[in-house]
Amino acid sequence: MTMTRLTTFAASLIVITLTSLSGAAQAETERLSVVASFSIIGDFARIIGGDAVEVRTLVGPDSDAHVYEPRPADAIALARADVVLVNGLAFEGFLQRLVDASGTSARIAALSDGIEIVHDPEGGHYHFSGGQAIFHAAPDDPHAWQSVASARVYVENIARVFCEADAEGCAAYEANAAGYLGELTKLDEEIRRAVAAIPEDRRVAVVAHNAFRYFERDYGVSFLAPQGVSTESEASAADVASLIREIREKRASAVFAENIADARLVEQIASEAGLSLGGTLYSDALSPPDGPAPGYVEMMRHNVETLTRAMTGG
Amino acid sequence: MRRLILTASALAIAATLGGAALADDDDETVTAWRLFVADHSAPVVKVIDALNGDLVDTFTVKGPAALHRSSSGATVFAVQGAQGEVNAIASGITFHDHGDHADIDVDDPELLHVHIDGAKPAHFVELQGNIAQWFDGEDKVRVFTEKAVLDEKLEMRTASVGAAHHGVGVPYQNHVVVSIPNPDDASKRPVGARVVDFDGNAVGEDVACPGLHGSAGSGSLYALACDTGLLLIRQEGDAPAIEHLPYAASLPEGSSSTLIGGRGLQYFIGNYGPDRILVIDPSEGENGFKLVQLPTRRVHFAVDPIRPRFAYVVTEDGQLHKIDVLDGKIAQSLRLTDPYSMDGHWNDPRPRVAVAGDSIVVTDPLNAKLHLVNAETFEESGEIAVEGKPFNIVAVGGTGKVHAHEGEGHSHDDGHAHEDGHSHD
Ligand SMILES: [Zn+2]
Ligand SMILES: [Zn+2]
Repeated sequence: MTMTRLTTFAASLIVITLTSLSGAAQAETERLSVVASFSIIGDFARIIGGDAVEVRTLVGPDSDAHVYEPRPADAIALARADVVLVNGLAFEGFLQRLVDASGTSARIAALSDGIEIVHDPEGGHYHFSGGQAIFHAAPDDPHAWQSVASARVYVENIARVFCEADAEGCAAYEANAAGYLGELTKLDEEIRRAVAAIPEDRRVAVVAHNAFRYFERDYGVSFLAPQGVSTESEASAADVASLIREIREKRASAVFAENIADARLVEQIASEAGLSLGGTLYSDALSPPDGPAPGYVEMMRHNVETLTRAMTGG
Repeated sequence: MRRLILTASALAIAATLGGAALADDDDETVTAWRLFVADHSAPVVKVIDALNGDLVDTFTVKGPAALHRSSSGATVFAVQGAQGEVNAIASGITFHDHGDHADIDVDDPELLHVHIDGAKPAHFVELQGNIAQWFDGEDKVRVFTEKAVLDEKLEMRTASVGAAHHGVGVPYQNHVVVSIPNPDDASKRPVGARVVDFDGNAVGEDVACPGLHGSAGSGSLYALACDTGLLLIRQEGDAPAIEHLPYAASLPEGSSSTLIGGRGLQYFIGNYGPDRILVIDPSEGENGFKLVQLPTRRVHFAVDPIRPRFAYVVTEDGQLHKIDVLDGKIAQSLRLTDPYSMDGHWNDPRPRVAVAGDSIVVTDPLNAKLHLVNAETFEESGEIAVEGKPFNIVAVGGTGKVHAHEGEGHSHDDGHAHEDGHSHD
């Protein structure tokens, strides 16, 4: 067993270096080599880094990081990187073995560090033994980018990591970050206004895998999802039945597909609950460049428009 | 571009990468690895504790067996080609995955009361709990689930393969990808592959793949090797989809006919002539092929499921080589056995390799033993004597935590395996 096993330590570091053998200064003129674990972080990194960085994204558009299978080329990219940007909170299940395989000496930054974490009451599982059910919690919801407040923390963390890795470029990184934080402020206000326009009793949505708890916390739209279902596994009949009951009790107004997942499960849920599919939300990945959510700001706008349209019946 | 030099403890690194998980104080870490070893000429499968070398059990089957483990590790299949029989053994080691945790259970291994009889059972493919057992003498491939095998209530579905031939089937939920027999002479290598359902319908276009032989899975990706390149199979929506990846133009003349698939990293290794192997990263297209020259002819190879950067090759001069998959190079070599010439029949007794935890295990059939090599130091760390001619081998196991209050544990060591114990190139 070579995987570094993780136990009960609370993570509080932002930046760490796995080994410290690399020389202090290498080719000065090259751009900072950055690996981003998934598309949303890749978008932030390109905006903050500008021309001074070269960004490679591991889990691309419309792809599911929860089930991503890393390739040798990813390990090679990690080995050559100066900085690796990840979400943390156990979102990138593939990351530890990729880091092990690559032997990288890059600085690895968990961008969710410093956010206000949503503790996920359903993010655990039961063990049944001797007629007893024992709950094991997996308490931290990783999908923090669905709140603009946490996206701001990601951006600030990226700027800090880039500055530490490349002091000369720091002023530019900070300027890029400041400009983008301004955009995020406007985006946040926009979302609040849009949600305020949805009648309060209509603000209940249904999705297959609940990536929207941060959105729920910050903007007041609630999301129902089958319990214990990841994008990886099929929902059991019992999961779906109890969800249908919940949908009726809470009078959910619409069911949404997700860009990273097959729509069959939500289609089944929608038809059993007598609701229509309200469109596709972008949860854990951006769209390709020609799609409706090629960047983070566009993604959040697209999601809010999709929610608003379906919930106001317009 | 510069790197700042900081230091941090390994524990902090793990915590940052993985997030904080909760572990009970009464959790106990348990490691269990079992070797399943078939004899070259006797009808037995031995189960050996890889950690202490103890013989756990000996199962008598009908004939000498090729062994395959399921990706879950819960089941080991003994394919006895000459006897027309396939047996299933419950490995006794099971993992229950709960996303951020998996539980380990260790029980006695057991020869299950299900067996699959048919004319010339050959290629065995398991993918996410679905199994396709190919019979060279039948015009249908049989498909069943690992769960049904473990429940000892076998429900068989079949899909037509046109005519009896030496081919392969890859099982999906409602479809099978099957090889297409040579229309002029079904005893020759297949000419391509197609997607079929269980009602006799073909789905989509046939895909050409002349000389098809050899198959392996890596994660959710499955590959078939042929004269022109690889066929890559992915599940897309309802049905699997096949795509042809040609060998890079820069490669010398040659092709693969035996494949193994990476675990932890998505890649494939194929033979490429008798004394070279090809490391393939399909995500890189034309640039994804790395040719590795071996000192002599290849006897057997296996990937390391725990250290995904490495794979191992035994060559006929008795050396074990550690292949660095990222560099496409031999990283280390170690003299382990007497020479085993590749002259003679493909199925003569020669070494086979498997990885069990921190040990690389190499069978030495003519000396009645297994060699253990420490995977970290790459030095021989021990031997296990096994009566007879220990030949085909698979390993099952991992590490987890067992909870005092419930007798279950947690682990992340539940990777995916695909071993093609069959090689006759
Ligand atoms: Zn997610
Ligand atoms: Zn064959």
